Amino acid sequence: MILLDSVTKQYPGDAEPALDSVSFHIEPNEFVFLVGKSGAGKSSLIKMITKEEIPDSGKIIVGGIDLDYVKKRHIPGYRRRLGVVFQDFKLLPRRTVYENVAFALEIAGMSGRDIRKTVPKVLELVDLLDQAKKFPAQLSGGQQQRVSIARSVARQPKILIADEPTANLDKLTTAEIIALLKKINDFGTTVLVSTHDESVVNALQKRVITLKDGKVVNDQKDNGIYKLDAAPAPKLPVRQMQVPGHALKPRPGVVPTRPVATQGIVRPATPQAVTKPTAKTKRKVI
Amino acid sequence: MAESEKKEEKQKKLKKVSKKSLRSMQKNHQRHMLRTSARIVKYGTKGFSRNIWLSTAATVVMSITLIILFVTVVASVILTNTAEMMKDKIDITIYFKPNTSAEVLSQLTERLEEDSNIKNVETSTSEEEYKKFLEENKTSDEIINILDADMEKMMINKMQATMRIKVYDVDNLDSVKTIVEEDKLFTQYTDKEKVPTYDVNRAEIATITSWARIARTGGIVLAVVFLIISVLIIFSTIRMAIFSRREEIYMMKLVGADKRFIRGPFLVEAELCGIIAGIVAGSASYFGFKFLAPKLQSYGISVSQIENVLDSNKLILVFLAFIVAGIIIGRISARLAVSRYLNKA
Repeated sequence: MILLDSVTKQYPGDAEPALDSVSFHIEPNEFVFLVGKSGAGKSSLIKMITKEEIPDSGKIIVGGIDLDYVKKRHIPGYRRRLGVVFQDFKLLPRRTVYENVAFALEIAGMSGRDIRKTVPKVLELVDLLDQAKKFPAQLSGGQQQRVSIARSVARQPKILIADEPTANLDKLTTAEIIALLKKINDFGTTVLVSTHDESVVNALQKRVITLKDGKVVNDQKDNGIYKLDAAPAPKLPVRQMQVPGHALKPRPGVVPTRPVATQGIVRPATPQAVTKPTAKTKRKVI
Repeated sequence: MAESEKKEEKQKKLKKVSKKSLRSMQKNHQRHMLRTSARIVKYGTKGFSRNIWLSTAATVVMSITLIILFVTVVASVILTNTAEMMKDKIDITIYFKPNTSAEVLSQLTERLEEDSNIKNVETSTSEEEYKKFLEENKTSDEIINILDADMEKMMINKMQATMRIKVYDVDNLDSVKTIVEEDKLFTQYTDKEKVPTYDVNRAEIATITSWARIARTGGIVLAVVFLIISVLIIFSTIRMAIFSRREEIYMMKLVGADKRFIRGPFLVEAELCGIIAGIVAGSASYFGFKFLAPKLQSYGISVSQIENVLDSNKLILVFLAFIVAGIIIGRISARLAVSRYLNKA
């Protein structure tokens, strides 16, 4: 679905390339985490895929489209085939939640009748139907991100790219967003999520591509665990995330958490409900 | 034979299908364009009301500039008209001996009209001059009371026939002077004691002529300068309004919106500003002129031409001109301002 072949990019004035011969292949319906520290090249790579940047060399093929052949005037059309979620949500501040989601469909030329049918369904999926008339500024960070996700999936793209979707959110909301992304993946959408939040990565145990100094240093196909080198160990207790239909198996030493169902999304239990993990568990979970 | 017939039939069918699909594609495209246009207008109108403060500021600036433009054009027309009117008052009066007959005067007129600089010649015989005198003094009882038949005859005999000459070019009176001074018929009948003045009003004529010229060229220059300034002011105002929303443009681009879809609502907003500013400026200019016209007239300034336009059916055209000017200025400014961020993002 997404193929990168020896993609290299060096920004003018930089001593080192932002991306150095990056190659990988993401299969259809895969859920992939793109991880790495800040400055590792995650955002550059996503910008290459969304055609905000052009690589110096190498080839990128997304959904069967060779990006070398996507001319400037065709970029809007290409972007409409993707769903993109941003760290800072990038919602239109002067439009309501409904209008923000409808915007994605309007630019694709969908009829008014179809838009009126689709938008409520998508808002229901992200559990924001009751907030449809509100403006982004009236929503919390998590809700804004859910609107952003709703906008990106409204056109039912085959590929969803999320650039640090949880960077500005607290842990509880992060869990909700990841659960939502997982749900979208279950519908058959290929999802690529860039993040540096190891708890997010480790909880889902999906394929993990690790970038370091612009190079792919690790590509774990299944049950990918990511450990950020220089990151300090998170404080206890470590919360586990539960995704509907993807309940994590209890691990030795960890008492299974009791999922609290809230508005269709399974929230993790309160920290008090989790027993303190042992040193062994801590090592494994992190 | 059968095979070739089949092939032909197939080709015909294919042609029919391709024509049909082409037609449906065209229809779909038309529908898409209509839908997009309707959405652009909808979001432009919404944007105008949701950014009411910026929209109001842009509308006020545009109204003021349109009023300035109107004042410049009107001032230019008034100045030119006043100068022309004053220039029209300038004439050369030639006095003839009393009792110069109308036939002689018409002969003299014919001689003069050979000169291409002559615009108009008015003649008046002694009798006509006497009638004029009576007309001018009809309220004076003293004069009317003393007039009897003999007195009337004496007066007519004393009254001089006159000729009033108006020329196209007041700077070039030499040809007129030559005819009046050298033509035999003229020298025979003109009153030698009353020499027509060609030079006395020169300075005055020169001033009026230069005023007329300044009014004409200055008016055009001023109008152009004000137009440029107004476009710059409106451009800056609209650019400021769009600058505060540059992130929005960037976001729309990232989501995959076409340039037309991004630019459209901004253009609609600017055009709305232009329409409202056109109506506001048109009304303000109309009532302002109606208020000031009598005062200007009392100073001997000619406002009749503008008044005629504003009092006729052409008033609608004037308003339309205001609105169209507003729309054009707004659209150009918005297009320039948006393209700056549209190409950047």
